[in-house]
Amino acid sequence: MKGEILDPRKEFGNAVTELAKTNPDVVVFSADSGKSSGFGNFAKLFPERYFECGIMEQGVVGMAAGMATAGKIPVFCAIAPFVTARPFEMVRNDLGYMKQNVKIVGRNCGITYSDLGATHQSLDDYAIMRIIPGMTILAPQDPMEIRTAAKAMLEHNGPVYMRIGNPKIEEIFDEKPFVIGEGEILAKGTDVTVISTGSTTADAIQAVHQLTKEGISVELIGMPTVWPLDKELILNSARKTGKVITVEEHYQNGGLGSIVTELLSEEQGVIVRRLGLPNAYAITCGDYRELLHYYHLDSEGIAEKITEYLHQ
Amino acid sequence: MADKTRILRAELAAAKSRKNVFRMVRAGGHGHVGGALSAIDIVAALYFDIMNVSPEKKDASDRDRFLLSAGHKCLAQYAVLAEKGYFDKSVLDTYGALGSHIPGHPDMHKLPGVEANTGALGHGLSIAAGMAMAAKLDKLNYSVYAITGDGELPEGSNWEAAAAAAKFKLDNLIIFIDNNGLQISGNVTDVMNMEPIDDKFRTFGWHVVTINGNNMNEILDTLDSLPYNGGKPIAILCKTTKAKGLSFGENNVNYHFWNATEELIQRAEAELDEVIAQIEQQLEVVE
Repeated sequence: MKGEILDPRKEFGNAVTELAKTNPDVVVFSADSGKSSGFGNFAKLFPERYFECGIMEQGVVGMAAGMATAGKIPVFCAIAPFVTARPFEMVRNDLGYMKQNVKIVGRNCGITYSDLGATHQSLDDYAIMRIIPGMTILAPQDPMEIRTAAKAMLEHNGPVYMRIGNPKIEEIFDEKPFVIGEGEILAKGTDVTVISTGSTTADAIQAVHQLTKEGISVELIGMPTVWPLDKELILNSARKTGKVITVEEHYQNGGLGSIVTELLSEEQGVIVRRLGLPNAYAITCGDYRELLHYYHLDSEGIAEKITEYLHQ
Repeated sequence: MADKTRILRAELAAAKSRKNVFRMVRAGGHGHVGGALSAIDIVAALYFDIMNVSPEKKDASDRDRFLLSAGHKCLAQYAVLAEKGYFDKSVLDTYGALGSHIPGHPDMHKLPGVEANTGALGHGLSIAAGMAMAAKLDKLNYSVYAITGDGELPEGSNWEAAAAAAKFKLDNLIIFIDNNGLQISGNVTDVMNMEPIDDKFRTFGWHVVTINGNNMNEILDTLDSLPYNGGKPIAILCKTTKAKGLSFGENNVNYHFWNATEELIQRAEAELDEVIAQIEQQLEVVE
């Protein structure tokens, strides 16, 4: 419900568990992290469909691919770098090349593991997953979208990578179905287009509220599907404003900002700015919100960067 | 001992499949023949005697599955599938051609009978284990057979699959380790020694047997007695000869990948024709 503060992992795990009640093909693979991924109830309700494999992400992706050849819909959720960067070749070949219906979910994404170090942070997952042909990338922006994206993900036939965070987040949207590949205009404006995905959208909304009060007309697009991109929505807005700024908890290189830049590179008169993390290992001390603030990815920082951009 | 007729029929299928390998090598000018020929007796035994498979039921949910973890041995698989009637043999003449359905590593979306896209080493056992897990989950009685090469075993992902297969009691998973002893850089034990292979799988919780993987009687006898002690995945360590059946190339690492000449292909074919004639003669006697 709107305004509620909820745990993304539990919302995700419970949503899949609920959907599994009516879809017997859904199976879950755990790499010693099922409970942390919100699958405690799934394991209790469907022990025969829950496979605890210990810490072996490469093997899990391969086994999930094998399972999928027999019509199962495997869901594999663990800490984001260990389901993307670590088993990359398995995802590329066994899921991508083999076109298998497996759902990879990276949790504690971005810099949510603010103090555990660069090994546990995932700032390259969009870049890594997007170059796999046939891969779909989802980055739901609030608990409602996590639940509806889980449903859309299971109903979509093909490999999907979905990214969710860890700290509790506020439900910001009213309930509506998740349509893969569609973005949404969250605020209409004419001065600048702001495109945000995943965890940063809640802060982007606040930033836009602030800027609106200051008399700046911002068009805000929420983009819960990173790939394939909702091209028309972006092109139409960019043609109107001529200025586009992307916001994401990912490296500036290879993330949504890069994808949007590629799209708009042939669009005359549009200037793109990318907000995200620089291509360096993120600092690994402090809490999550402090790090977001440091990298100008909280509402204050986003507003500041948009203003800076408009005054250039 | 397996019935003589069965042995001869499987041997005949293997010999004819070897000829199919040379047909593809002629078309493409080269190919990974060494491993294909060391493993081809196992593949022929599976498709012509052991597995519950046929071109007519290639999508049946209860069919047995076969996959090559060592995907570069694909000439063996293509050769046997063609012999079994999965596709017209003229497809073999497209090896190496643009748009061919028989690329240098198998592609399940291109050719009927291929169950997985393999080639990057160390992937096959995990995929095979997943297939075997699905059989258990669906309470279907099919088995999954996979071939891995001895040179492939240093890939750590194999051991992830080995541990998982034992934990999930996949006694419907049977892997053949094509232990021909050679890989592209030389002797497997010199390049990276994984011996004792049998003990390694045993300590991971597998049932392990060692056979001569180019002896049809031993292959069939071993497979006839499956499963052994229920609950354990099965590893069959197959002592084989690299490039078996290519008289001038046997046990020679230079034939791991053969840049063939027409003259040598003809010689190999002529030798095989003799083998085929002998087997057919023997079959006439026993049938």
